[in-house]
Amino acid sequence: MHSNLLRICFLFLLCAPFSWAASSNSADTHEFLLSNGLKLIVREDHRAPTVAHMVWYRAGSMDEVNGRTGVAHVLEHMMFKGTHQVKSGEFSRLVAAVGGRENAFTSRDYTAYFQQVEKSKLDEVIRLEADRMSNLNFDDAEFLKEIQVVMEERRLRTEDNPSSLLNESLMATAYMSSPYRHPVVGWMNDLQNMKASDARDWYRNWYAPNNATVVISGDVDPKQILKVVEKYYGAIHRQVLPERKPQTEPIQKGIKQVQIKAPADSAQLAMAWKVPPLQPGKLDDPEPYALELLTAVLDGYDNARLNRVLVKQEKVVNDVGVAYDMISRGPELFLISVSMAKGKTVAQAQASIRKALDGLKQKGILESELKRIKVRILSDQIYKRDSIFGQAMEIGTTEMAGFSWKDIDTMLEKMQTITPEQVQAVAQKYLVDTGLTIAVLDPQSRKSIASKEGK
Amino acid sequence: MNTFQKSIVVCLLTFGYFAAAHAILPIERLDSFKGSKGYLVQTKALPMVDIEVSIDAGARFDPSGKGGLADMAAGLMNYGVRGDQGILSEAQIADEIADLGANIGLSVGGERAILRIRSLSRKDLQDRAVKLAAAMLSSPTYETKIVEREKQRTITNLLEAETKPEFALERRFAKSVYGDYPLGNNPTVKSIAAVSAKDLIQFHQQFYRSDRMIVSIVGDVDRAQANEIVQTLLQKIPQSGNPIAKLPELQRSPVEPLAQREIQIPFDSQQAHIAMGMTAVTRSNPDYFPLLVGNYILGGGGFVSRLMSEVREKRGLAYSVSSYFAPGKDTGIFKAGLQTKNDQAVLALEVMSSTIAKFIADGPSPAELLAAKSNLVNGYPLRIDNNRKLLDNVSSIAWNDLPLDTMEVWTQQVEAVTLEQVRAAFQKYLAMDRMKIVVLGAKNK
Repeated sequence: MHSNLLRICFLFLLCAPFSWAASSNSADTHEFLLSNGLKLIVREDHRAPTVAHMVWYRAGSMDEVNGRTGVAHVLEHMMFKGTHQVKSGEFSRLVAAVGGRENAFTSRDYTAYFQQVEKSKLDEVIRLEADRMSNLNFDDAEFLKEIQVVMEERRLRTEDNPSSLLNESLMATAYMSSPYRHPVVGWMNDLQNMKASDARDWYRNWYAPNNATVVISGDVDPKQILKVVEKYYGAIHRQVLPERKPQTEPIQKGIKQVQIKAPADSAQLAMAWKVPPLQPGKLDDPEPYALELLTAVLDGYDNARLNRVLVKQEKVVNDVGVAYDMISRGPELFLISVSMAKGKTVAQAQASIRKALDGLKQKGILESELKRIKVRILSDQIYKRDSIFGQAMEIGTTEMAGFSWKDIDTMLEKMQTITPEQVQAVAQKYLVDTGLTIAVLDPQSRKSIASKEGK
Repeated sequence: MNTFQKSIVVCLLTFGYFAAAHAILPIERLDSFKGSKGYLVQTKALPMVDIEVSIDAGARFDPSGKGGLADMAAGLMNYGVRGDQGILSEAQIADEIADLGANIGLSVGGERAILRIRSLSRKDLQDRAVKLAAAMLSSPTYETKIVEREKQRTITNLLEAETKPEFALERRFAKSVYGDYPLGNNPTVKSIAAVSAKDLIQFHQQFYRSDRMIVSIVGDVDRAQANEIVQTLLQKIPQSGNPIAKLPELQRSPVEPLAQREIQIPFDSQQAHIAMGMTAVTRSNPDYFPLLVGNYILGGGGFVSRLMSEVREKRGLAYSVSSYFAPGKDTGIFKAGLQTKNDQAVLALEVMSSTIAKFIADGPSPAELLAAKSNLVNGYPLRIDNNRKLLDNVSSIAWNDLPLDTMEVWTQQVEAVTLEQVRAAFQKYLAMDRMKIVVLGAKNK
């Protein structure tokens, strides 16, 4: 009785909202290439009089070299420390004065800066952002203060955070040669030895219009905005970028394990398998889509397989998470992480995870499970349009990984064609021990300082 | 400095512009249904709807010795319900939500419990999402087996959280500021263990009544559809029930010698975590706007606040430092905080204290006030530029009993704030000799 109704819904969902979402992407989005190599992408969204302005540099921690890990992120901090025209801290004051929200973030693949403003203030933030693309000028004293701030950031987010420590060790163990083995924030010792000149070198090497993509979403007229972008960004000279070595990760030939001792109450376990990301120009490859769907079949909703079996039925873990990012510049991992339930061991959790995966590999998944996930993907296409910032983010991350924003719709269409057999096939092919890295957090009780001093 | 001043002039000139050019969407009051209140903002651009039900059933109603009860009463609503066609198991509920492409989320704060639905506005999908949410609100089963499982998970999460410096600090701070008020009683392993399925059923019966509920809706529905949503949601919920005992008043943080206000908690983290604050104002307090504008200058304004400048920009002592007022319907607090490596804790606390003390004593400069207004007024469109943000606004207006034109007059109220009002309001509500201080970290002399 229930299922008939469901089937009708699926048909509707699969057709109606999807074609709507797909057609609007290309109509509302405009791409321009400036003569200095800067790419501009404008997404029109006229629901409210606001705009998101982002500049994305294709330079992230994966472009760093030994001894200088963290420099991409340190430079991100220094970008607020003044140009020839604008004094240190002034950038933020000027953005604040026009009512703007701003920040920046660094990842393995890129560094991005953004402001959100009421639309009449867009020219002002474009002017400021273009200025610091080529005129950055900070003194050594500013650097010495800011590197302390960055070390506090590392203490806050990594040193005192056992899950981050676990993840850091997992990455450093899973990868031998890929620069993905280094944390984005950098190793503490590299931060302690970093010089202002390291940050300046980084800026000189990578901050150029031909290594940048500007994404503007919101209530704008693309032709008019092109003129403003030409005026401010267009004057900056193209430059020769450093050679990027491929640093391809060698094929893993057996299981790897690492253990971390850190203050925590429960043990944590992370299992990560080497899997392929989607390659630009190879959008027909079904495997990355199948892996993305596998992620959701395992962990995409409250009754997804791992949550149902491990948390609710077997009660062997307290929480479970599954992650895979189809879009990235570097290699990819398929990651399952869990924290133990009270009284359960890491070995028990690992056995349960393996049992669940073996079941999936042998028996496959249900058509109904996959449909459920596909419906979720389609409705998310509509929900994501509620945020103009979210739309700019999606365009930027896609472009930085070497794809075009135009590929987003193709990827979504391909995703809808994947079969249960294809999902089963990637599980069989990739979730095997030769490409597996296991990281375990061994919890240590916190020693209060009082007891350390024997008082 | 020159460019800075120039740009402020430009901003001031354009203040009136977008208020006129872009009318703020009106909030409609829906038909009263079974003693509840309902509000709607219609936005037609996207085929979706966001619905929130606020229930006057927050953590402050946790009975003594059963801290965590309110949280579990809401959190377990999607783990089994009695629906029109019999019992729906947790698996069936989760599958149905996924099949609809909907989101249904539950959360509990100090004052209220919140259920949020996000659905496509296509009628059949939306109707089913609303029906399911209605069953969750009215008829959760609180099955003993699931209650026991979730209690154990909550306890495990709590034990984990207690090893985290930010959580340990937050709990100790809440205890200091709220004192005997119920929000000072944090859930403990013992209090969660004491919660039974019967307690949950009783709590639900007592507090989940339509006269304690407010429904806010934003999205692609008209007034008639919105009224229908409210009626479907509250159909099976009793309108009223036994009287609920009045909560004690939150007593203002008293003047105390430092030794009684400051607490040191030994903790072997690399950073010391520091919090400082006291009781403050509710959202409907007439001094809300002077305090909002003032706090932007003191510690709320991203990279440009005084605390950020003194602690981070000038001295490199911390990655994050900020202050805020958290005004609720019946209570409110002020809080400032930072994290710094242990051997800098004393210095950082000194800098934070003296920055706050100076601000309370002297207030902002005229240039700072101008810059704050410029940011808040020019940035107002960013607070209401999508459905989710509109829902946050409507929900706050409804919960705090604010006038329905609050969004329309918000920028005028910011512009009207004077230097003297900011100084007077900070001196009226905050005082350094009342501030609770918690320092968690390795002790240093």
